Amino acid sequence: MEHHLIMWHWPMIVYLFLAGLGAGAMAVSGIVVLWGPTGEFRHRAALIARLGAFIGPLPVIIGTGLLIYELGRPFRALNLFTSNFWFMVLNPSPMNWGSWFILLFCVVATIYALTFIPWKALLSGERGERLEARSERLRAPMATVCVPLAIAMAIYTAILLAAVPARPLWHTPVLWLLFTVSAFSTGLSAIILVQRFMFRKPGAVRGAVRREDPAFRVTEYYLVSMKVLLIIAELVVIGLFIMFAHMTINSANFAVRTLLPGGEMATAFWLGVILVGLLLPAFIEGFYLLRTAVLGHEFEWPYVINVSAPIAILFGGLMLRYVIVVGGQITGPIGI
Amino acid sequence: MSDSSAKPVSRRKFLKGLSQGAAAVATAGVAGGAMHAAATKPATESGEKNKVQYGMLIDLRRCIGCQACTVACKAEADVPMGVSRSWVEYVEKGRYPNVGRSFLPRLCNHCSEPHCVRVCPTGATYERPQDGLIVIDQGVCIGCLYCAQACPYDMRFLNPVTRFADKCDMCIHRVSKGLVPSCVNTCQGRARIFGDVNDPGSEIHKLIARNPVAVMRETYGTQPNVYYIGLDTTDENTRKPGQYVRVTTNKARSTKRT
Repeated sequence: MEHHLIMWHWPMIVYLFLAGLGAGAMAVSGIVVLWGPTGEFRHRAALIARLGAFIGPLPVIIGTGLLIYELGRPFRALNLFTSNFWFMVLNPSPMNWGSWFILLFCVVATIYALTFIPWKALLSGERGERLEARSERLRAPMATVCVPLAIAMAIYTAILLAAVPARPLWHTPVLWLLFTVSAFSTGLSAIILVQRFMFRKPGAVRGAVRREDPAFRVTEYYLVSMKVLLIIAELVVIGLFIMFAHMTINSANFAVRTLLPGGEMATAFWLGVILVGLLLPAFIEGFYLLRTAVLGHEFEWPYVINVSAPIAILFGGLMLRYVIVVGGQITGPIGI
Repeated sequence: MSDSSAKPVSRRKFLKGLSQGAAAVATAGVAGGAMHAAATKPATESGEKNKVQYGMLIDLRRCIGCQACTVACKAEADVPMGVSRSWVEYVEKGRYPNVGRSFLPRLCNHCSEPHCVRVCPTGATYERPQDGLIVIDQGVCIGCLYCAQACPYDMRFLNPVTRFADKCDMCIHRVSKGLVPSCVNTCQGRARIFGDVNDPGSEIHKLIARNPVAVMRETYGTQPNVYYIGLDTTDENTRKPGQYVRVTTNKARSTKRT
């Protein structure tokens, strides 16, 4: 009946992707700090935790900056925090809760990232040692705060969309699961991608981690297995997402047709999200995983594939946000 | 002589009194519930106490689709190019010679359970306690357009001049002075009736009570306060296979990003 104008543009899409990525990386880092391995794998785990902590806050801050840029009047954004105290406390708006989450996340994640800076190497003398000791003491408590906060952030990016009944594609009880799984998968992929750049050359050494260590390869194997499991989980959740909408009568059914073959978003969804973002990395990585698991080969693969698989997953995560945000806006309630 | 000197005075007095009375009647008729004294109002069946709730009834049997309301709204509210607060949709259906055309004037429904107010992160959009109208405080709005996503009626837009959310405000500057909204004022067929829905004495209340009325998208639970008599629910998206339906919204559409 109406023209549905697209009101949330690329900054919103990129923001949802980056916030998910940051939250995912942060959650992985915190989980590794809290329940990570000790002994032989200690240094390897520390590296993953450090990378996750450094990746965590940056995308969230950039994404939030994009949103504020889209508003056109940046200082108006402060109204989110200053309009009225009692209104703030009792406000049911997910965007308001989310703003506080983002603010808290950015502060806490930055402090958490600071605890990973090698102070001893940067500052000579007693000051460096004192900061290093303080950082190490602070790390685990900060991780305990960070993990639930990061998961809340990942869920929030979906709740923001799911809260509006007038957008039937978003207004589904599955969306938060889809975005959370995607957040973990993109966050983990970002960590894996960065460390693959770091250990590009054979014989590369970073701190206490060497590329030729058996621990390196084993950890890599487990990380990639985790990633493939997340991809499978995401495929299952996407299946549920489509099924829920397709089995509903009226508006939700009408809205999901935009993703199904013949719909306006079908190409972006099936090519971008499903094929490039999920199936391709799953098959590539699954092949090398199975080669190691079944045939007992060494877990080693060409550098191009090594790097392209996580990039494909990141691309798929961005496409997922694009498809959901745009698809939700070009569809709407049907009937009068 | 004394008669003739007295007569003009009395006639003038009589005419004056008559005109005053007529003016009062006209104002009461036009303003509907605006003149109503809240203190004497009995409670309504809906249990909404004595709350004043402005609303509109659009009698589609009287609508001729002339778009006078669209133009009046554009002029009254100084709505920028490319966006609209109010418009009239044309619904064409059927196959020759069995064809039909109906009109659907659109404006903000000023819902009693507004989704837009629930999602507003700053409290910029709220329900006015004195008359139940949904308004936007442009001094608080951040222009995030969450409300525009939440509105099931697509009534909200980003004002390209102010960069804040905007929509029909039922001409609060007019109705708070006892006048009717601009679209009601200009309506050629008197299809639009404005007034206090909760006031049993008002014309709108009586018409709603005595006629089969409908609201748009009732299933969304928004409890709209814009009622229609003779609403045609034909929609392009819900038509049966083979049925011809064409909807022309006549809504201004900006090519630029909104």
